[in-house]
Amino acid sequence: MRKISSLKRIRKDWILYLMLLPGMLYFVIFHIIPIVNMKLAFQDYRIIGENVWVGMKHFEQLFSSPAFKDVLMNTVIISTMKIIFIFPIPILVSLLVNELRFGPYRKYVQSVSYLPHFLSWVVIAGIWITLLNPVNGGVNVIRDFFQLPSLDYMTSKEHIRWVLVYSEMWRSAGWDSILYLAAILKINPSLYEAARIDGASTLQQMRYITLPALMSTVVTLFILNLGFFMSAGFDQVFNLMNDSVLSVIDILDTYVYRIGILNGQYSYATAAGLFKGVIGLVLILGTHFLSKRLTGKGVW
Amino acid sequence: MRQFSMTKTIIQFILFLFTLAVLIPLLNILALSLSDPARVSELSGLGVLPKGFSLINYEIIMSNPFILKSIFNSVFITIVGTLLNLFLTAITAYVLARTEFVGKRIVLVVLIAIMVFEPSMITEYLLMKDLHLLNSYAAVILYKAINVYYLFILMRFFQEVPTSILEAAKIDGAGHFRIFTRIMLPLSKPALATLALFYGVYHWNEYFRATIYLSDPNKWPLQVVLRQFVVTQDNTTLLKGVEGMTPELLATLDFGSLQSATIVVAVIPMLLLYPLILKYFTKGTMDGGVKE
Repeated sequence: MRKISSLKRIRKDWILYLMLLPGMLYFVIFHIIPIVNMKLAFQDYRIIGENVWVGMKHFEQLFSSPAFKDVLMNTVIISTMKIIFIFPIPILVSLLVNELRFGPYRKYVQSVSYLPHFLSWVVIAGIWITLLNPVNGGVNVIRDFFQLPSLDYMTSKEHIRWVLVYSEMWRSAGWDSILYLAAILKINPSLYEAARIDGASTLQQMRYITLPALMSTVVTLFILNLGFFMSAGFDQVFNLMNDSVLSVIDILDTYVYRIGILNGQYSYATAAGLFKGVIGLVLILGTHFLSKRLTGKGVW
Repeated sequence: MRQFSMTKTIIQFILFLFTLAVLIPLLNILALSLSDPARVSELSGLGVLPKGFSLINYEIIMSNPFILKSIFNSVFITIVGTLLNLFLTAITAYVLARTEFVGKRIVLVVLIAIMVFEPSMITEYLLMKDLHLLNSYAAVILYKAINVYYLFILMRFFQEVPTSILEAAKIDGAGHFRIFTRIMLPLSKPALATLALFYGVYHWNEYFRATIYLSDPNKWPLQVVLRQFVVTQDNTTLLKGVEGMTPELLATLDFGSLQSATIVVAVIPMLLLYPLILKYFTKGTMDGGVKE
């Protein structure tokens, strides 16, 4: 009975389904087909004729390759550094901005700090390469002031990962504080009034009212970040990479790009991509259910 | 009755330093691009005012046909891409927001799956190859014709349109397409403006798909050309085809300043739209709870 009524409803509103067609065609062609085609990881790519099934060949090759191990390590190290050093900053920024009165100064701080978020990584790379220039870049001007020798950060294996951390911080510290600020604005103002009457200082109010109220947002965003752990920031690395530091900042995505798009080893690169995709999927699903457990709110 | 508070003053000062850390590198690029090439070496890396004043860097960039073409290409990709994005996102969101649509659950599940599992860049590239879309703008524009996050934002917005309006239109004999174009779209102008900005910023800043899909340099958008100068340090392209370029003139130029001028040109559209962006992005992000 229900089936018939559904069919009837579809027939009555057929124009609705016609309107859905372009969108669905797009998703099938440009998302679902490329995902299904990732079976290429288990095949050998042929320019002419059908691809040949080869089982786990490319994965065995991948896991026995020292290059892949390095790339995996880099991805994990860079992602971990970013989570430890970047994640707390927007929380701090939102706490500080919240102490500013609504007015021109607050507006100035917000407008300026959001700006880098809207610049492309190509532009940011240009700005940072200039900023870190060993001859006359801003950072070395400061080093010079403290009579420290000039450093070429962009080609230093020791420093380049920190360049990734700081440039990402520069780009996102302001913008990422927005969600925390939104959560702060929802806090009942009478809490602060009561605290003030009891003689709580600004810092005490931050510590005992604002921060606890932010915790659920913090948890949600933290696990959301974990879900993207395997990505480690492709656009950033792609634009700040150079030959002298490649070995310490080559991550999974840049590796896939190099061996796949540049060298044409399509099957092998797809295997690396699939490995990353599956781990990413497990992380996202895992964090989604963990988040639901902890905060009652999923990632989607 | 505001008391002077030491803590608040310190907080204001810390945030002031923070904004300086953001602004100085940006203003330094601007100062580099506007400095007199003969005096640019005097400019400190923390300097925000140009040494001398000269527009020579901009004149050279603007007389390079290759760069002019790339600016035009970027504008083209941004406009056509954004219009297509808006059309496809809106028409799909309309269907998903209708209660009489059978199969909404399945479609939503598929969309969430698409959101969590991105296809590999390799199979996406091979697909474009199979569709004979390599080296065409279609590849750059089509691969992200609908952003699922934005689709959900618009769907939620459409769902909030009072059903009484739609029922009234239906009684007057309006079909779905008519309701969509005559009622929904005009009613959702603010939401559409927000999405137009989201998508527009994305297209203007996009460089990676253009890098791998467009092999003909004459089709490159500005970001790819800029990447060529800044990241790969290819200075020959920067000067190629510039009229009246003599070795004498070349000797007086500073490449860092020329690169900076190109960066400024790539950022200007963003700065012009920035007041609008601030208004809509901030609101959109806070309302949607979407981090993008």
